[in-house]
Amino acid sequence: MRQYFADIWHALMSTFQGMGITIKHVVKKPVTLQYPDERWVLPERFRGFVHLDTNRCNACLQCAKACPVSCIYIDTEGKGVDRYMTRYAVDFNKCIWCGLCNEPCPTNAITMSHDYDHALYFRQKLVYEFVSPERPIPTHKQKRAEMGFFVEEEEEDHG
Amino acid sequence: MEQVTALFARIAGAGTLSPQLLLWLGALTMALIMALVMAACAIVFTWAERKVAGFIQSRYGPMRVGRWHGIAQPIADMLKILQKEDIIPADADRKFFILAPFVLFIGSLMAWAAIPFAPGFVAADLDMGLLYIFAASSLVTIGILMSGWASNNKWSLYGAARGAAQIVSYEIPLALAVVPVVLYAGSLNMTDIVVAQQGGIWKWFALRNPFLFVSFLIYFLASIAEVNRTPFDLPETESELVAGYHTEYSGMRFAFFFLAEYANLFLVSCIATAVFLGGWGHPVPGLNFAPALVFLAKAVLLVLAQIWIRWTLPRLRVDQLMHVCWKVMIPLALVCLAGSGVWMLAFVRFA
Repeated sequence: MRQYFADIWHALMSTFQGMGITIKHVVKKPVTLQYPDERWVLPERFRGFVHLDTNRCNACLQCAKACPVSCIYIDTEGKGVDRYMTRYAVDFNKCIWCGLCNEPCPTNAITMSHDYDHALYFRQKLVYEFVSPERPIPTHKQKRAEMGFFVEEEEEDHG
Repeated sequence: MEQVTALFARIAGAGTLSPQLLLWLGALTMALIMALVMAACAIVFTWAERKVAGFIQSRYGPMRVGRWHGIAQPIADMLKILQKEDIIPADADRKFFILAPFVLFIGSLMAWAAIPFAPGFVAADLDMGLLYIFAASSLVTIGILMSGWASNNKWSLYGAARGAAQIVSYEIPLALAVVPVVLYAGSLNMTDIVVAQQGGIWKWFALRNPFLFVSFLIYFLASIAEVNRTPFDLPETESELVAGYHTEYSGMRFAFFFLAEYANLFLVSCIATAVFLGGWGHPVPGLNFAPALVFLAKAVLLVLAQIWIRWTLPRLRVDQLMHVCWKVMIPLALVCLAGSGVWMLAFVRFA
């Protein structure tokens, strides 16, 4: 009999205790953000969508070689001074956001951006083209300097 | 109701309408008002429920529709539900499948007739209003059983069987908890019960004596079970039975279930307000405008408390549910009934 009333008392009290906990959360500030308006502050080295600065790229192909899933496609035309890059595409269907393409880049052209909300309706659209074939990018240092593209400083041999 | 018929008579000119026609017009108007109140409370409470759920879980809840804190969210939901296809399963019992939501809806609409919102503002001032309300609201059980059986779906049937068992069981403590009030008020008429509580907060039946307070708690908990809400939401357990008895319903038919659920939620709170919390009475002296607003404010607070409990407690098991009803609530309600009677004999002088 004693246990019976103790149980009822316990049930009532634990209900009030639970309600006390939930009411505390009502007055607390919500932990969620109003996403498109408010955004999370990203860490500095956050690995978002790969971005290519076409002004700096000289089509050395090192990023394509470094890529473990082969999602970087680079096409070039011509040779020597007349070598042009006609296509630079990243297939984000394949990309694993490892950031390995950034490391060998001699000119820091390819970087991990802070973009992450690029949901699309069509898979094909996830292949991002950075260079239009109509406006090929010169890759030879001399030509680049002539056309106003970024040219890397000559690296000194420190032996 | 009398005022409404009088209004119609005045508009039409005295003597031009027969008394019977006036009665019908009055009844129709009151029914329309009640149906609108039901729809409005469903709209407001779905929004309130989602907001409260959000706050309790440290979220915002709906924020987008209607500029201010998602205030137009229920309207958007309603428009969406109107566009949905009306599906009747091939193996369903068509007649009962179609009828069930209306039975459920009518059950709760009927009970609204005897709720006194303000002095004189009651659709049917019945002498046995309280009894009528409990009788009318048990029609809901039939609606639930009907929908569960007609759907020809195992989840629906489980939900309906559970719902019927639960509601029939919990009607006993629910009714037993209000009997002491009837003892005190000396009437089953809802208006009389409210009038007996006027004159200060200590006149409210929930605060008259400790037994009545326990009765109020029993009523409140049993009413949560009566409207199938967590922690007693066994008839529609989302995690076990998909959606219980309304699993197979879609579109407007589902909307009727939804409407009836929220209308019932408000209904039990209105009954609690009228029976235990002094109806339109309030402790502030001199303040005497809009008694209906005071009544509604109390009822809405009770609904918020029910929502609060819903998002706090986990669901009971079926055996626990029955244990709470038969072994705890009913004996306690009987003890409270006897206790209130003794208290009344000992401390209350008969006028």
